[in-house]
Amino acid sequence: MTAAAIEMRSINKIFGPVKALDDADLVVEAGTIHGLVGQNGAGKSTIIKILAGIYRRTSGNVSVFGKPLDQITPASIEAEGVHFIHQDRLLVPTATVAEAIFLRNEPRVGPFINYREMNRRASELLKLYFELDLDPRTLISELSTAQQKIVQITRALAHDAKVMVLDEPTAALVSREVESLFSVLRRLKTDGLAIVFISHYMSEILEICDVVTVLRNGTDVGVVDPSEVGIQKIVEMMTNRDTSEMYPRREVEIGAPVMSVRNLTVDGAFEDVSFDIRSGEILGLTGLLGSGDKEVLNTLFGQIKPDAGEIILHDKQQKFGSPVDAVNAGVAKIPEDRRAHGVATGLSVGENMSLASLGQLSTRGFVDRKKEAEVVDGLIRDLGIKTPDRHTLVKNLSGGNQQKVVVGKWLGCNSEISLLDEPTVAVDVGAKVEIYNLMNRLASEGKGLVFVSSDLEEVTEMCDRVLVIYRGKIIGEYKRGEIDADRLLAAASGAVAETERKRA
Amino acid sequence: MTAVEHAPATSRGWFNSKVFAKLAIRLGAFAAFAGIMIYFALTARGFTTTYNMINVVEQSTILGFLAFAMTVVFIGTGTDVQKGGIDLSIAANAGLCAAVYAVMMREGYGNYVAIPAAIGTGMVIGFFNGLAVVTLKIMPLLGTLAVMNIAAGVELTLTENTVVPVQSDLMTVLAFGRFLGISTLAWCLIIGSVLLVWAIHYSKIGLRLYAVGGHIEAARAAGINTGRYVYGAYIFSGFMAGVASILIVSRLSSSTPGTGLMLLPILAAALLGTVFSRRFIPTIGGTLLAALFIGFLANGFQLLGISSYWVSGVQGALILLVVTVTSFAKKH
Repeated sequence: MTAAAIEMRSINKIFGPVKALDDADLVVEAGTIHGLVGQNGAGKSTIIKILAGIYRRTSGNVSVFGKPLDQITPASIEAEGVHFIHQDRLLVPTATVAEAIFLRNEPRVGPFINYREMNRRASELLKLYFELDLDPRTLISELSTAQQKIVQITRALAHDAKVMVLDEPTAALVSREVESLFSVLRRLKTDGLAIVFISHYMSEILEICDVVTVLRNGTDVGVVDPSEVGIQKIVEMMTNRDTSEMYPRREVEIGAPVMSVRNLTVDGAFEDVSFDIRSGEILGLTGLLGSGDKEVLNTLFGQIKPDAGEIILHDKQQKFGSPVDAVNAGVAKIPEDRRAHGVATGLSVGENMSLASLGQLSTRGFVDRKKEAEVVDGLIRDLGIKTPDRHTLVKNLSGGNQQKVVVGKWLGCNSEISLLDEPTVAVDVGAKVEIYNLMNRLASEGKGLVFVSSDLEEVTEMCDRVLVIYRGKIIGEYKRGEIDADRLLAAASGAVAETERKRA
Repeated sequence: MTAVEHAPATSRGWFNSKVFAKLAIRLGAFAAFAGIMIYFALTARGFTTTYNMINVVEQSTILGFLAFAMTVVFIGTGTDVQKGGIDLSIAANAGLCAAVYAVMMREGYGNYVAIPAAIGTGMVIGFFNGLAVVTLKIMPLLGTLAVMNIAAGVELTLTENTVVPVQSDLMTVLAFGRFLGISTLAWCLIIGSVLLVWAIHYSKIGLRLYAVGGHIEAARAAGINTGRYVYGAYIFSGFMAGVASILIVSRLSSSTPGTGLMLLPILAAALLGTVFSRRFIPTIGGTLLAALFIGFLANGFQLLGISSYWVSGVQGALILLVVTVTSFAKKH
């Protein structure tokens, strides 16, 4: 029997107080596509970064095609034919396509780089594998996300990769691009490459992977054939819980309107939007990208000034000049891009979470530390943030747990209206459930929630009422019980010809 | 199940505002260069004479060499002077090397010892910059500022703040020699530029250096030993300071205090050079043009009888303008 392409055994990795990997194994055979799944913080990126030579393992053995590797550096692992397609498209923005593909492997004539040959071979490879006509002299910074991904893969091919590790390769791609990526991967598999495929999308894992290693809490809890065991089982292995608990139910008395929106219009974004948010209600707002749903949310938070219409809160017409006015009026928002608007990574978990609610936690300008500790510890518990304690610096947490800290930060401040902009994007299954639970708790405390999401399944399951917005107009309103994902999708994509508004 | 529809993601084409802005800035830079040349040609007596033109090229040789050094540091560390690398010690280093060379010549060591000693000194100073920036991870702006002061201090100790005169055959050849009607100094600029264009724009080392400066994480992920390249850029900068010091001494027939004042024009030339490139990055060709531009500017002012103090102000304004314009163009 030939040696496995990648064999990682009993890998341990400790970051400060956090044990990121605990005796994890990963064995990948040549000629297979091997899925690597796990929740955020399960250790996927850590084990990959150890293989890539970015992190040094605390203990354990790594061998590539039977050759044990002691010290791994990014250069030495490439020399073994192992290539990484990083999630955050690590490419030099000022380089051309051809330069990026052949960096460190430049075709030369004597000491000169043969640019003509380099450009020719770059075009050839792009055409051969991706049927893509791309000028090899185009700058990386001018490419789309999908094209950059393609350049990364082509670079690995140009370097005679034997093993290719793809970290969330489809995250920024549209479905057509995903399909062409998959056909390339299948072809590479037939050519005998070993491919490690990391993804949050279970349907993709099922579609493309021959074998899946499931990580949980830094340990591999199973190596399975996805087509045999099915998605359900894999998700259960990841979360160690039954997925029927995915969308927690709640019984809440829906009360009087808290906020009313009347004929709200922002030129070029949406027009004549009217609705009420009642206390204890989760109101969904969904539409295709660019339909105007996000703009509605931003207007309610004072980030965009409306051209017409009114927002009524506390029986008073509100004019939000900026988010500060909105926050003072009792409106909170969880922004979509949590990395950018989110955490101060150099501060502790506790400090981050209490930042937004310092006003409520202080008396006469002094922060009530005891009260702060209570609130923060409660949030850490409720959200299941994996941290040794509230004093740990946020930068020592995994990406998923950092995101939970941001959600906690905004939910910690005691607002009457919470605006949630895609709160579960790029969050793992377990964290999603915790965010859903928190939404339910806010609702049961009598708060009103506006929930913007493009994940129709969660909209269907979580909302009491859903407004579908299409090209800047509300074209459908569905109550709990009449909502189903197919109907929402039909409405959102404009298939429902005329408004079938059903007043509650 | 998601209902996300992505916008078609191509950002090419002439109507793209970012591409357009870059093009406008580049054309504007060329137009400004041409405009100023025409203005001087019309108003400054003697500006267009061959003698004056060659004189400017000669004068620009030293500035050019030192600006090339700064350019290489920029390439290897990113042009963002606020975050990326910079070598503030270049001018002071050249002054120190000139002092080393002049003092050794005075002590009777001869060119075969004094020239390697001068260049070696420059490289040692460059090594210190690398040590500060790469190994000790000090902010380049501060690290090289400290090294600049060290170099300036050693120079003063060596020369006791006096002019050290130098006489040698080589000096005569460099200062007065001609070949094909072009002076030796001008030849130095031509040959130096060609060699550097080849090394930076056509060799694998150049490409990798650009990768290190362009996106250090990406370069590291591609298996490039990034620390070695940054060290190399600083040591090369020191090497160029050493070479330039020989030219400085030959032009003045002495080592003179005050070489450190060249830092401003060097910085202006290296930054202005980025505006002349298609990708808005530092290039040898761009820096050459910018160095000549600054040379002509100083020369034109001189011929018009404007105080040389103004030149310094104009160079400072140029730096501000270029940094503002390029960072604006990169953002929008």
